[in-house]
Amino acid sequence: MVADLIESVAKILFIFSVNLGFFAPILGWVERKQSAVMQDRIGANRANIGGFTVLGLFHPIADAIKVLTKEDFIPAGANKFFHTLAPFICLVPAIVTFSVIPFGGRYQLFGHHVNLVIADLDVGILFVFALTSLATYGVVLSGWSSRSNWSLLGGLRASAQMLSYEVAMGLTIIGIIMVFGSLKLTDIGAMQENFLHWGIFLQPLGFILFFTCAVAENKRAPFDIPEAESELVAGYFTEYSGLKFVMFWMGEFLEIVAISGILTTLFFGAWHIPFVTDQRLLSLFQFAGPNGAAVLAMLVGIATFFAKVIFFIWLQMTIRWTLPRFRYDQVMRLCWKMILPLSLINITITGLVLLLWIK
Amino acid sequence: MTQLDRKESHATVGVPAGRLRPKRVRRNLDLTLWEKLYLFEIIRGIYVTTKHFAFNMIGFVVPPRGKKRSVFTVYYPEEKVTLPPAYRGRPVLVMRADGTEKCVACGLCEKICPGHAISIVGGERENSERYPLSYVLDMTRCVYCGFCEEVCPKEAVVMSSEYQGLAETDRSNLRYSKEQLLRSEESVKGRIEYIRRIYSKCNY
Repeated sequence: MVADLIESVAKILFIFSVNLGFFAPILGWVERKQSAVMQDRIGANRANIGGFTVLGLFHPIADAIKVLTKEDFIPAGANKFFHTLAPFICLVPAIVTFSVIPFGGRYQLFGHHVNLVIADLDVGILFVFALTSLATYGVVLSGWSSRSNWSLLGGLRASAQMLSYEVAMGLTIIGIIMVFGSLKLTDIGAMQENFLHWGIFLQPLGFILFFTCAVAENKRAPFDIPEAESELVAGYFTEYSGLKFVMFWMGEFLEIVAISGILTTLFFGAWHIPFVTDQRLLSLFQFAGPNGAAVLAMLVGIATFFAKVIFFIWLQMTIRWTLPRFRYDQVMRLCWKMILPLSLINITITGLVLLLWIK
Repeated sequence: MTQLDRKESHATVGVPAGRLRPKRVRRNLDLTLWEKLYLFEIIRGIYVTTKHFAFNMIGFVVPPRGKKRSVFTVYYPEEKVTLPPAYRGRPVLVMRADGTEKCVACGLCEKICPGHAISIVGGERENSERYPLSYVLDMTRCVYCGFCEEVCPKEAVVMSSEYQGLAETDRSNLRYSKEQLLRSEESVKGRIEYIRRIYSKCNY
């Protein structure tokens, strides 16, 4: 009982420190610096402590100081309660999503089963979808309660886009659920131990469709019409400043990490290294004794998982700085006329193959 | 009525209406099926940016020695660009080797200056040579047109490549006196050669 409690607290602390302590601040720097490197620029490099700039890594600290000392501005005529509530609704689902994403396998440690996921829900993937739909409310509320035309237009666009892609995203994932026969993310992860059974090989079309939907759901370029800075200033968070503004940004960044985590779990073999099974990894670390081998295998699994996550973050950033923004009608057409029929075709083909070929 | 008048009365003014009609836009014809699939073009685009990313990451932390940086950004206060002789910076007065100014206070620059930035008080030396008692250049009015340099018969005013120290919190600091403006002939040599070429000032 005590061991379970310690395990849970340790896992929650780990996930919190990795996401809020590492990914959330560092992704702002990554976005600036990566876009700069891609576009043959240098990027932010002026913040320094005692003359040391360290590639501009002090900019997140400078940003934090700036944000904390800024005025918390609520426009006249805005609904104060919902205006304050909206950023929380945006940020909290993004953090809670990590509770069902497994960042490692099951290990036997001192006679105690350690399962590296905070909440091993039977309906893990549905929980993720439920939370992402909840994030829509934050965006819509912020757009409506700001009492600004830009915000309202951004909120309207966001609600239409997010609701549409919600539908498509749910359908794109059905193929992979049919293949693995489980909604549990830990099961789906464990079933991809064999390199050739990775989701990307079983559901290539599903991967592309889900990735597109996920980027659109996160409102990142090329689907950033809700916050199109050349049309709507900043879209639904135009009227926000200080910490509330940062909460929207952190929500967006954490959603990038969450999407990368889901993509890794569903399509890229979760914590597995290609051609290395869990058993072989444990036998490789046999020299450290049974407990030491489990710890080492656990660390390797976590490192593999986060390496894949970082790759997907990099890919999403690259897409964001490569592709121009879609027009509003193009976004809607892509969803309802392309992705939805394609995902239905994907489901049909997957079902036929499962029924006739594999039985 | 002559034939010429009749012709004039029938003449049309401006672009004929038929030519004002917009050309028909040929949509979709420019896109091949491969491009319409979009996915492969996205991959191609990502390949291009990834190539730039990968090449720029070489020497991102420590720049390679002796290699030209692929990034064109200039770290301004630490690095400076070498300006071409055609660059028009702050106008300066050219000084002879003995420290006296070349200017003879003829007042042509004062007269041509479109912003009335220059004000000269002329004087005369013992050897009956004219020189400016005071030469005040008001940089709050200067528009860097270079007319003073073009009109000067003695190559005494040239546009230097100085661009720093032109922002001040006090306007009176931007009224430069003769002593502040004097530069040696060596420091503005490139510009003098340049103006000889472009203004054909070769008769000196």
